[in-house]
Amino acid sequence: MSATAKAAYFWRAAVQGIRRAPFVHFIAVLTIALALFAIGLARGGGELLESLISSIGSEVELTVYLKPDATDADAKEIAAALSKRTGTEAVVVPPDVALGRLAAQLGELGSTLTGLPENPLPVSVEVRVPEAVRGPGGLRALAEKVRQSPAVEAVDYGEEAVERLSAIALALRWGGLVGFALVLLATAIISSATLQLAIYARREEIEIQKLVGATDRFAKIPFLIEGMLQGLAGAAAAVGGLHLFWALAGPRLSSLLAFLSVGGCVARGVDPVLALQLAGLGCGLGLAGSFVAVGRFLRV
Amino acid sequence: MFHVYKAYPGDPPSLSDINLHVRKGEFVFLTGPSGAGKTTLLKLVFCAEKATKGQILVGGRNIARIRESAIPYLRRNIGVVFQDFKLLPHRTVADNVAFTLDVVGMPRREGMARVTQVLKQVGLEHKAGSLPLRLSGGEQQRVVIARALVNDPTILLADEPTGNLDPALTVEIMDLLCAVNVRGTTVVVATHDASLIARYDKRTVRLERGLIVADQDGAKAARRMAGAE
Ligand SMILES: Nc1ncnc2c1ncn2[C@@H]1O[C@H](COP(=O)(O)OP(=O)(O)OP(=O)(O)O)[C@@H](O)[C@H]1O
Ligand SMILES: [Mg+2]
Repeated sequence: MSATAKAAYFWRAAVQGIRRAPFVHFIAVLTIALALFAIGLARGGGELLESLISSIGSEVELTVYLKPDATDADAKEIAAALSKRTGTEAVVVPPDVALGRLAAQLGELGSTLTGLPENPLPVSVEVRVPEAVRGPGGLRALAEKVRQSPAVEAVDYGEEAVERLSAIALALRWGGLVGFALVLLATAIISSATLQLAIYARREEIEIQKLVGATDRFAKIPFLIEGMLQGLAGAAAAVGGLHLFWALAGPRLSSLLAFLSVGGCVARGVDPVLALQLAGLGCGLGLAGSFVAVGRFLRV
Repeated sequence: MFHVYKAYPGDPPSLSDINLHVRKGEFVFLTGPSGAGKTTLLKLVFCAEKATKGQILVGGRNIARIRESAIPYLRRNIGVVFQDFKLLPHRTVADNVAFTLDVVGMPRREGMARVTQVLKQVGLEHKAGSLPLRLSGGEQQRVVIARALVNDPTILLADEPTGNLDPALTVEIMDLLCAVNVRGTTVVVATHDASLIARYDKRTVRLERGLIVADQDGAKAARRMAGAE
């Protein structure tokens, strides 16, 4: 009744089982690998999107344009109010500074601006809105507040871009979650089906095992190990695939996204945490599949 | 050893109202025409079939109401020589025999020594590495016997253990079974070979269409069988 002898037997039986039906096991490993690869890729894509949003989001600047007849005192007052609300310094931008900036941005065309007889730009107040205040709807609320002031002509904070991006990110996150669940389910089913084939192929062996006194558990464990090994092999293949993918596609994506200043984070490998998570997930998938298979087929 | 009252279903019952008591260490022939219910009776003893009615005691334990989870432990004490062999075609003779030992968790090295020993007993040590399908019917039968014996069971149920053997081998195997019996194992041999029963002076239970029609102890059974021939 030695436990190590049993453990040795289980491993031997599992490895023999895989060796005797390499094709079905290969299919299972492939399925798990593809699923994990897709999940890893989605994770990478998701992180890319997050960094994209936060890099755009970090540039969220609230610009308050004052009415032409607003005084310097009005501007100072609004700047002070904004500073208080956001906790960061709000800057009053005089019309000539704004014009200079615009001219610089326009480059060659800018020279025509300097030739204008009168500066058409109003006084504006700019403030970088910190993360904490920004929140969902926070920015809008702030803008509304400022708009109420009689000296204010308009408030601009790139709301469209930020809100739409956030909405997309949210949709993607939910979609990803649903997709994730579906992929996991499908993979577990396929892995379970292949193990059912493996069990079917070995039903005679199981029958005899039980006739010579094997417990149910004894007959089941090798299949559970097989499922786990399938999962690990699948995870290994997926991690390898992801490495390869980022190595090949990373630089290209990087240059593609360079203008968004998130290029840096495309040049990524598979970090060990993700690799471990995928391995765990693979193990779980394989085990879940073999549990179902064993439960359905091992009532000898 | 067991104490049996049972009826077995099937459209006509395969066994009905069987009462049989086999003592510990006894050697019993179970005989009767084909389809009489010999195999069925043996199956009931190691729980391959469930009795529809009645009680079966094995080693003082009522197996008519045994828990599913206790069956494996019961079977480890019962060696069975199956009429249809039940050998695994893709495993070597040695692996087939070692199967019984794997189940109880005996380390391989220790187990292989034991396997070699029983294979020697049945005269097959030179075939240890062969696959069962490469063996003759008689050789396969001896592998099954070796598998049944390897775990030193307290009860040995042999269903036609000499069905495929020539007279010389039959004698050898029967001698082996007798030797096992002498060491204290209860042995039940199902056979329709009258000459076997005639040659060995043992208790004989005769089944016909699911009924016990005769239960004679050694000397008488041997005499009757000799006369019938
Ligand atoms: N699994 C089964 N399901 C239904 N009926 C069965 C089953 N096994 C056996 N029987 C029936 O039970 C009866 C007894 O069969 P059994 O195998 O016990 O005979 P036997 O005495 O061993 O015959 P033989 O000498 O040919 O081996 C037969 O009529 C058979 O048809
Ligand atoms: Mg029979």
